[in-house]
Amino acid sequence: MFNHPIIRREFIGMLRTRRAFGVLCALVAAMVALVLVRWPSGAVVDLQGAAARQVLRVFGYGMTASLMLLSPIFPATSIVKEKVQGTLALLLNSPLHPWSIVLGKLVGAVGFILLMLIMSLPAAAALFAMGGVDLTGQLPALYLVLLMLSLMYATLGLLVSSFAQTTESALRITYGLVLLLGVISLIPHQFLQNQAWVGDAVRQAADWVRCASPLPAMMAVMGDLSITSGGLAEVGGQVQRFVILAGLSSLLCTGWCAWRMNQRLFDRSREAGKITDDRSTAARAYRRVMYLWFFDPQRRSGMIGRWTNPVLIKEQRCRRFGRGNWMMRLIGLCLIVSLLLMLASALGSAQKSVGAMGGIMVVLQASLILLITPSLSGGLIAAEIESRGWQLLQMTPLRAFTIVTGKLLSVLVTLALVLLATLPAYAALIFIDPAQWIVAVQVIATLALLALLALLVSAAISSLFPSTAAASATSYALLMLLCAGTLLFWLGEDAPFSHSTVENALRLNPLAAALRLIDAPGFARYELLPWNWLFTAAMCVVCLIVLVTRVWRLTRPR
Amino acid sequence: MSDQAVVVTKDLTKRYGDFVALDSLSISLERGHILGFIGPNGAGKTTTIKILVGLSRPTSGTATIDGADCVTESRRIKQLVGFMPDTFGSYDNMRVREYLDFFGAAFKIPRPERRTRIEECLDITGSSYMKDRYVEALSHGMKQRVAIARTLLHDPKVLILDEPANGLDPQARIEMRHILLRLAQMGKTLIVTSHILPELSRICDTVAIVSQGKLRAFGTLEQIMRQIRQQRMMEVQLLSEAQVDNAADVLRGQLDAGSSVTPSPAERLVRFTTDKTDEDLARLLAALTKQGVTILQYREMEHDLEDAFLSVTAQMHGGSGDRPG
Repeated sequence: MFNHPIIRREFIGMLRTRRAFGVLCALVAAMVALVLVRWPSGAVVDLQGAAARQVLRVFGYGMTASLMLLSPIFPATSIVKEKVQGTLALLLNSPLHPWSIVLGKLVGAVGFILLMLIMSLPAAAALFAMGGVDLTGQLPALYLVLLMLSLMYATLGLLVSSFAQTTESALRITYGLVLLLGVISLIPHQFLQNQAWVGDAVRQAADWVRCASPLPAMMAVMGDLSITSGGLAEVGGQVQRFVILAGLSSLLCTGWCAWRMNQRLFDRSREAGKITDDRSTAARAYRRVMYLWFFDPQRRSGMIGRWTNPVLIKEQRCRRFGRGNWMMRLIGLCLIVSLLLMLASALGSAQKSVGAMGGIMVVLQASLILLITPSLSGGLIAAEIESRGWQLLQMTPLRAFTIVTGKLLSVLVTLALVLLATLPAYAALIFIDPAQWIVAVQVIATLALLALLALLVSAAISSLFPSTAAASATSYALLMLLCAGTLLFWLGEDAPFSHSTVENALRLNPLAAALRLIDAPGFARYELLPWNWLFTAAMCVVCLIVLVTRVWRLTRPR
Repeated sequence: MSDQAVVVTKDLTKRYGDFVALDSLSISLERGHILGFIGPNGAGKTTTIKILVGLSRPTSGTATIDGADCVTESRRIKQLVGFMPDTFGSYDNMRVREYLDFFGAAFKIPRPERRTRIEECLDITGSSYMKDRYVEALSHGMKQRVAIARTLLHDPKVLILDEPANGLDPQARIEMRHILLRLAQMGKTLIVTSHILPELSRICDTVAIVSQGKLRAFGTLEQIMRQIRQQRMMEVQLLSEAQVDNAADVLRGQLDAGSSVTPSPAERLVRFTTDKTDEDLARLLAALTKQGVTILQYREMEHDLEDAFLSVTAQMHGGSGDRPG
């Protein structure tokens, strides 16, 4: 198998990198640390095995979150990168069969994940030795779920990569789908499960839909039924359902991707550049109505204004989702989701607390911010350097300050519009409990700070990397570490982490601060403000300084 | 140096650690002239260009454009120079007109003037028909035209074009040549680098040959030809391949030690360099005939820019400078 040219290049090549070595070392170190913290010391033995189970929880959820983020990264850029570099045409002209190419790439990506899982086995064995962890049921199920989720997201990334035209768009679409399958698929069941007017068939369908996410399966493996009495994992069979769905999805994605692997990928004519202004009167009138004129993507755009920052306009225009029509679609979608949440809040307020409903809203908004922002700002500087556009920018009289403000504003405007579209959901909370308006304002401020932090972190990283894919992936990883990584401490409260450790970790996390403000279950015991605001503001300042300094240096002659 | 000189470099040197990328380069170029800047890969062409456009600082020496120092007056340089790098630098999802609009706005050209200027530049480069097309969907030749339009937007006095004919088909190359000549007629001063020397020799009136960071030859095409014409290059076409070695031996016996003789059996040719007069060459022909060599053609070869380039770079490597046979 290792003689396969693509496996050799993708898998063996990856193993030779320092980054792969670093990831594996970090994983092993984290496992060892987790086990050591709870390893029995002295003469007292935990007969219940609670300590081992607690460590297993942190390990299981940590690995789930990490694999959801890590497993699609390389497959998502794998085919599109070859397409852009021109090496895919060479591969397709070789005697390698399309299936062989796709499977080679898949084995390369999943092989590394498999290696990570194998590296974690000694820690799992140590947990078994501590007692309380079931070797025949729990551990195999845990590894099966992790393996299937890696396979599912890797094949999904590979399929997206075969459609995408740039690495940046491949990453954005893949993470969008990961969010959709991993988090948003949970929502229908969450709302429909206790509604009297919902039929059994619909409830069953919603139950299957949520099983597309690895979270219910992982919760079932961990036996976290008590936490999710709201309904996440109260019904059995989640693991089986997830394995079936992940297997089917992997087969479908791999087959589809292999089917696409032929010369048709390149059989595209150049876009003619149609313009509405040059069309017939009827066609012009139709498009003006459909696109409300201003948002027609094929309208001949006006010249950049005298007092407008040209970089801002350029960024908006050269970004597909920056164009008016896409912005309106995105805002419309957010508005619909927001209104649905409002409706769900009103309907579900009898069964659920305002905090629980608000918690879902906050998590959704934060997910939206974390998904959109790095994809928009990860390429702010790196994409310019990658496309050699930076050299041209340097040749213009534009100052570093103008470039930075133009680029940051282009993302801020998009983010602000999207966030504004999600605000109506808060109206429902205030309607249920008018005293909540101060809380709503504070939550919105916290989320705005999170958006600003995500923007500045991604932009600063973008200025330090020569490629957009690397900058975007690093930004996603850092932000996820901040927002999801610190939540692992929360999962491990009392074992292995003390209350103060968890509180200190959560003080770094703006999502946790917002959840605390809205009184989401499980967060009421922590004092997170104003520490979180101070930390976030300080981080923003540091990132801004890094960004401005780096851009200033890049604009200087070398 | 002339009072009309627009581009002047004096002892321009750039070092990267121990490596000398550019070694005391001194040139001057007058207004409305086209300089062909040639040299092998890694010769120092791009380094010189980067210093001239303010993207790189020289280790020592000075470079000025229209009196503006390339290091200390970078903002003025940006207005004076239009730079077209060897890569296009495209932005996704932008139409040609929007692309030019952005660069026009970056150069602070007022809106009404910018609109006219974009139309003019597209017209000069023959690319008006592609103004609504997406930049990333353009062919290589189309992109080169748009890139020139972009460099012209702010009406610079000096245009620096790095490999403008690279990758173009013959038709596009001819059109590119016409565009560059038209720009020179408009009074622009052009510095053009290219590896396609016959193309360059048709448009350049001044040539600079650099190699290993040093200026090897500089002047008008005629001046450089005169320098290398100290040795005449002769070509003898023979009737059969079997006579090539015999002819080469006869020539070696008759010529001085400084001359070179290059037989090419596959072409049934013998080439040689010499400083002999016409009378001496006539005697040489008679000697060849006397030795039984049947000659179809006996002629002096014309020198062109490729010969000049090969000759200059060969002097540096101690070779003959002849075209490969």
